[in-house]
Amino acid sequence: MANQSDELDGMFQALGDPTRRAVLERLGSGPTPVRELAEPFKMALPSFLQHLRVLEDRGLVHSQKVGRVRTYRLAPQPLKAAEHWIVTRRAHWERRLDQLDSYLQELKKQQS
Amino acid sequence: MTYLNHPPIDPRLDLVLERIVDVPPELVWAAWTTPVHLKKWFTPAPWVTVDCEIDLRPGGIFRTVMRGPEGQEHHVAGCYLEVVKNERLVWTDALAPGYRPSEKPFFTAIIKFEPHGTGTKYTAIAIHKDEETRKNHEQMGFHDGWGKALDQLVAFARTL
Repeated sequence: MANQSDELDGMFQALGDPTRRAVLERLGSGPTPVRELAEPFKMALPSFLQHLRVLEDRGLVHSQKVGRVRTYRLAPQPLKAAEHWIVTRRAHWERRLDQLDSYLQELKKQQS
Repeated sequence: MTYLNHPPIDPRLDLVLERIVDVPPELVWAAWTTPVHLKKWFTPAPWVTVDCEIDLRPGGIFRTVMRGPEGQEHHVAGCYLEVVKNERLVWTDALAPGYRPSEKPFFTAIIKFEPHGTGTKYTAIAIHKDEETRKNHEQMGFHDGWGKALDQLVAFARTL
């Protein structure tokens, strides 16, 4: 069971970044070569490849190299409903606690 | 008193979140147990907490009203089960104030506070009821306001 929870943690981490979400959305309309994927982002290619690596490690995307072109596509296994729910609940709590932590910093400043 | 320190967790239904903050436990405790503080952070944006009532003792009320970006309101009332100052806070919506069984039980939350250097380690454990309640909760659409990006992403994944 711990494995499943780790997987969810990993997936949530992968989804917790705007660049990676944008890549997934782009891949939602079909397989895309790296160069084309990278184009809309103002980011050095190595940093962008790092994002792709995170997505691939978490099993959200697959890639295939043909000749000199590496093409990415969404992994065929979609998030299941239950995973969706618990991932969404976690996102809710993470955001709630982010807000708490920044509020605590404010409180601390006021007191000192 | 002894208590169930860490209940059995079902990863399909439950969450455990751990945070370390450079703020003393007394202040973290205050943020969780004082309406004026709680209203500032408790509800993930763009929803906000517009009302909060706290009677800090076992059986005492914990009630919040959250308001969404389109003005829709979500009322939650439950009661505290354990109150150990600066250490531990447990509440549920399965029991109304005064321990009366509630109509729509959904979850129990356990918050543990521990000193960590000059700061605090706090752990939030959310225990949810079952699959059927999960589905009802989805239908309420409460998470729509803040989980949009994720929802859209999942919708993409589902079309594959």
